[in-house]
Amino acid sequence: MAEARKSMIKIKPKKFKVGDTVKVDFIVIHPMETGLKKDKKTGKIKPAHYIDNITFSFDGKPFTTMKVWETVSTNPYFSVNYKVTGKGKITVDYTDNTGEKNTKSKKLKPKG
Amino acid sequence: MKRRKFIKSMLAASAVAATVTPVALMAKEEAKKTAPKSPNALTIDAAIDAITGGKGAKDSDKVQLTVPEIAENGAVVPVKVNVDHPMEENNYVKAIHVLAAKNGNSRCVDVMLTPANGKAYFATRIKLGGTQEVVGLAELSDGSFIRAAKSVKVTIGGCG
Repeated sequence: MAEARKSMIKIKPKKFKVGDTVKVDFIVIHPMETGLKKDKKTGKIKPAHYIDNITFSFDGKPFTTMKVWETVSTNPYFSVNYKVTGKGKITVDYTDNTGEKNTKSKKLKPKG
Repeated sequence: MKRRKFIKSMLAASAVAATVTPVALMAKEEAKKTAPKSPNALTIDAAIDAITGGKGAKDSDKVQLTVPEIAENGAVVPVKVNVDHPMEENNYVKAIHVLAAKNGNSRCVDVMLTPANGKAYFATRIKLGGTQEVVGLAELSDGSFIRAAKSVKVTIGGCG
């Protein structure tokens, strides 16, 4: 595993209740190289390097999985909805085509 | 003697360099001729066939695709897909696919949803190589496919 990448999970809106549908935004700092660009300094083609699998889960139960290709922008952003069922933890696992694995999680605290 | 050795070695080194550089240049020219292709290159028709299993998809108003009409920078194009469909236990949106018609690899993201999502919604940012259509394709739990497409004008391409 390479160095941990900077990533962030945002829950929108900030205040929510059980039964509400919230937006779960996930942003990660990743180059998302297509394998087509040339390095300006060396003149060599940069190898493809992109995230290919993402899993959103709540308390270990996956609710959304994604298959991603290199056509997604640098520092990708993914947003899905989630219907809150109670207190717990949202975890996002992602792997890229070089085999790098990372996880990020955030607590979900509904009020009322 | 030392000086003589040094000069000799320098000459040898320069001779090696002289023979190497043309080869490197040739390689560069060849690389220009054979433009690199995406390792996952897929046309839009092939991609839709692969997703739907040859069934094809119907155009529908249920899929609401939100993309900018004109994107100044093709490297970052926001895409939002909303599917107006219930998310119940046996009747839900199974997957949302985002495709770009003229990119080397037209598939961008496949999102597998479950009823726990509450609403069929997905947003991301994609790269577009030029002016083209962006397609939002939704798979329903009964096995049917619906789609919506919108064209985006790109002033600066974002791929390669």
